Amino acid sequence: MEAESRKKALHYFFEKVVEPLGFKFTPDAELVDFLLEQEVMLEGKHGIPFCPCQPIRNDRARDMQIVCPCIPFHREHFDAIKRCWCGLFVHKDVIDPDSLPQLPPKEAGRE
Amino acid sequence: MKKVTLYTLSTCPWCRKAKKFFADRSIPFTYIDYDLADETIQRRILQELDAAGATGFPFAKIGDEVISGYQPGRYASALGS
Repeated sequence: MEAESRKKALHYFFEKVVEPLGFKFTPDAELVDFLLEQEVMLEGKHGIPFCPCQPIRNDRARDMQIVCPCIPFHREHFDAIKRCWCGLFVHKDVIDPDSLPQLPPKEAGRE
Repeated sequence: MKKVTLYTLSTCPWCRKAKKFFADRSIPFTYIDYDLADETIQRRILQELDAAGATGFPFAKIGDEVISGYQPGRYASALGS
């Protein structure tokens, strides 16, 4: 399957997964396109669409927690920052994704 | 001037923004793309991330300060600007 087709397939699938979790794709279309492209590339390399912004540790249990969409594994953290780590998804009520800082777990909720 | 080191991923747009932040200000920095590094370096980077409570990239070291995530305001503060 060529990359563009796979990107569309991932978009379709992810939307259905994140919607019941209270998330949506970021309104930043350019960011969505770039991140999906990276995920298609990672899927081609590893067989799995890992998060493009978190480390693959070669530890299966840990690595399964960064398979996109990884929201269920980081629910408390992502709810606190209203976005997932890479920013592909944001809370449904978010209009301006640029207003959401990329805070690590121990800093989330301070602001 | 404080030493700036970035740990990044070649696939991460926020890592690109972090590199651009320092490049645009002509601030010297070094970086390692975790995904392109060998296993020994990857292990060392993971140890540093875990010690700092960081879960993802970018990860910046500015002098003695470590900053997880793309946080331009904190980069500027750490640089003393």
